[in-house]
Amino acid sequence: MKKVSRRSFIKTTAAAAAFSAATPLLSKGWHGLARADVPGYFEKEFGITDKLCRKVLAESLAKGGDFADLFFEHTISNWIILEDGKVNRAYSDVSLGVGIRTVKGDQVGYGFTQELSEKPMLDAAATAATIADNGPREVSGEFVGLKPNNFYPLKTLLTSIPLESKLPLVQSVNDKAFSLSPLVVKVNASFHDQQKRILVVTSDGEKAEDLQPRNYLNASVIAEKNGKRERAGWNLGGRKDFSFYSKSVVDEVAREAVERAVVLFDAVQPPAGEIPVVLGPGVTGVLLHEAIGHGMEADFNRKKVSTYCTMMGKKVAEPVVTILDDGTVPNLPGSINFDDEATLSQKTLLVDKGILSSYMHDKISACYYKIKSTGNGRRESYQHYVQPRMRNTYMLAGPSSPEDVIEQAGSGIYVMDVSNGQVKIGEGDFAFYVSQGRMIENGKLTAPIKDINIMGNGPKMLKNITMVADDFEMAKGGGGACGKGGQAVPVGFGQPTCLVKSLTVGGIRG
Amino acid sequence: MNKELFDLAAWSVKTAKSSGADESRVHISNQRSVEISYRNRKPENIKEASTRGLSVEIYVDGRYSVQSTSDLRKNAVEEFISKAVLTTKLLAEDPYRTLPEPKYYKGRSDKDLGLVDPEYKNFNPESRHKLVKDIEEACLERGGDKVISVTAEEQDSHVEEVLMASNGFEGYSEATVYVAVASMTAKDEGDRRPSDYSYFVCTDKKEMPDPEQIGAEAAERTLDLLGAKKIKTDKFSIILENRQVSRLFGGFLAAMYGSSIQQKRSFLSDKKGERVGSECFTVLDDPFIKGGLGSQLYDRDGFAAKKRDMIKAGILKEFYVDWYYSQKLGWEPTTGGPSNLVIPPGKRSVKEIMKDLGRGILITGFIGGNSNSTTGDASIGIIGQLFENGEPVQAISEMNIAGNHLKFWQGLAEAANDPWIYSSFRTPSLVFKDVVVSGL
Repeated sequence: MKKVSRRSFIKTTAAAAAFSAATPLLSKGWHGLARADVPGYFEKEFGITDKLCRKVLAESLAKGGDFADLFFEHTISNWIILEDGKVNRAYSDVSLGVGIRTVKGDQVGYGFTQELSEKPMLDAAATAATIADNGPREVSGEFVGLKPNNFYPLKTLLTSIPLESKLPLVQSVNDKAFSLSPLVVKVNASFHDQQKRILVVTSDGEKAEDLQPRNYLNASVIAEKNGKRERAGWNLGGRKDFSFYSKSVVDEVAREAVERAVVLFDAVQPPAGEIPVVLGPGVTGVLLHEAIGHGMEADFNRKKVSTYCTMMGKKVAEPVVTILDDGTVPNLPGSINFDDEATLSQKTLLVDKGILSSYMHDKISACYYKIKSTGNGRRESYQHYVQPRMRNTYMLAGPSSPEDVIEQAGSGIYVMDVSNGQVKIGEGDFAFYVSQGRMIENGKLTAPIKDINIMGNGPKMLKNITMVADDFEMAKGGGGACGKGGQAVPVGFGQPTCLVKSLTVGGIRG
Repeated sequence: MNKELFDLAAWSVKTAKSSGADESRVHISNQRSVEISYRNRKPENIKEASTRGLSVEIYVDGRYSVQSTSDLRKNAVEEFISKAVLTTKLLAEDPYRTLPEPKYYKGRSDKDLGLVDPEYKNFNPESRHKLVKDIEEACLERGGDKVISVTAEEQDSHVEEVLMASNGFEGYSEATVYVAVASMTAKDEGDRRPSDYSYFVCTDKKEMPDPEQIGAEAAERTLDLLGAKKIKTDKFSIILENRQVSRLFGGFLAAMYGSSIQQKRSFLSDKKGERVGSECFTVLDDPFIKGGLGSQLYDRDGFAAKKRDMIKAGILKEFYVDWYYSQKLGWEPTTGGPSNLVIPPGKRSVKEIMKDLGRGILITGFIGGNSNSTTGDASIGIIGQLFENGEPVQAISEMNIAGNHLKFWQGLAEAANDPWIYSSFRTPSLVFKDVVVSGL
């Protein structure tokens, strides 16, 4: 049973996902079938015709409502896992079903079924229809296929890659990690790949079909020194073609995991209290996602529970700060060709030189604000209804050099990686665990740090970003998933080095 | 007993065998669930669905994999299993990966765990809508003019599961689950909009508090957060609210698994029989609590459930060692994970303890943070109330506690008399002395 909470969280480690989900390797009718740009998969494989969709949509709107949509999904996920030197475990999962939604204003009726035949679909549609109580509403006479760009073209379908080709990747990560340091005592490595095929059909006559790949190579390392143990991990991936997983990728995953574990033996705890914090480039963008991004999702603002609900068009940051949410960056985990309501993906400017310029919208919030959806309507699966969700959220580069930013901090901490973030939308308060970082003393990076939390208030932190460097990069991992309302969706994030005047560091040293 | 599920499991085990598997274990689930939420005195979401799933663990030529699917048509399952066996053969051998010895299946209790509410079939759409409306109304009333937004929600489900292994294990379980939630966001100073929620889950509807209590509690918890601020870093006595204990103890629990120990991820690996906390630190694993959310007659390996002392008066007594890691460790297996975890309640109420302590912090929520199962180090953000002279005086936010589990649980001074029954982690509020809480 999933707990219902407004709090949102993000997990950036892939290992947890790999072990928590049972999962699949093969399935009927998958190999060598339609590519993303060749529609017709659901009709060919499961007999989903326009006529059937029209009938189900008509049932969904039998009692009225503003619109209805069908979300068909066929997802195949695979994990292969190495433990104690051998790839001796595999999980696979096949998920198939359709979610049927009826929307009336901000009210949603939802039913889903795992059987793609007429009777169960009509039953689910009847459930969805209970949200409305007027006369029937008409369904569009003709469906027009959406023609989106493809932001994750594949040379080869992942499910066509034989298992024998994936096994050496994981084995090589293990062997490389052990070769890098005599301190390494355990390596867990895994490779995850997923192919999600979706078909969205709406009562307004839209029809969109997509194939969304997702994959990552992960390593988790335990090192031991003088009786003490430390653990760290790293992963690379996204919506990649299998050819991405070259020797250099394998080496980087192993090297980063080992270096991140070994450095912790020399780590210190910084003093607790309010100090300047420099956020390093790339993966620390998760903080931007959590502490700021969630508050800009339109549902929280429509319901007036976000602190940003009164800030549209107002200054929320220094002019050096520009933030976007972008579903169009090739091969990133949060990229989508269209969202789960069949709205084309786009690049959405959230903060323009310090001014709040847009929220992230699904169709319900767009209707509320009388604007067009920004293509942020996303859901975990056919079992879930749509919410406004981030895609790839990032801050653009600024004019400073990273060295100048660190020097300006004087004394504080430099955050290289964070995990286990959580934010309270209404207050804007957040907390993050710093998994990798350095002390800043006299304007220079010194000892590594570990096992501390940083806490603050998102809107306040945004205002307190006083310097932004020119070293923008996106996080390169593929295992990050954002949680909201009990639903996890893949997201990307990134940023340049930047200086936050002050955040609370939680430790045991006073 | 759902004969259809049982027959499908038996057929799947047989199919695995005929497809070439040496052994197999099949898990089948079937669930019907409903969710209704209200906001602004009208339904916000209505959702209803049935889900089912089959997962099969394949053991072939000393190799192992797990495959799951939601497509339970027999011809689809047949092809699915056949391909799963072929795929498994491509993996590396693992000599430790076998089905458990059947002797561990024996001795299973036939107790009625009371997990199915006989009245569930009478919980109709009208009753559901009334419950949610009443929760929302109570929250709106108690929240008064501070309310920005209130959402009330109920979820209920009926779940059936079958577990069957090719070496003789057969098990069936069934449960009903009710969840009720209210959440509120309130107006505060400046731009702050604090929010909190009440959350109850139980297997028997009679255990569910009145909707008025559920709604009012969400409002009161939210109103308690008004004016929250960071205070000066100091050492405090802290009271950890009953429903929050699982989050903190979860960091300790993560190091109690056989997998953590074998993979060198446990700070407790050499601590069995040793002191890991104060005399007050006692944790039982009790799978037989009537209506308990973690109650079970067998675990995921099929081992007959047993009541266990995990930690007794501060001494670590047991680990959670499943069959696979018991083979890797060369240890006797126990069970793969917790059923109901119980910390015995004390005698005094939280109010009495607050009066006695005079000054301290009552922790009512956590935010972010981490616990490192390898080292035992933990750091976690807290939300709660500063109390002085036994009375709450200031809501706090942006504060943090940190330390090592081995030291932290030595500071456990007392358990209150308020066990939280709406979770498989049944714990009262706990009192810790001399904890550094960092803020300004």
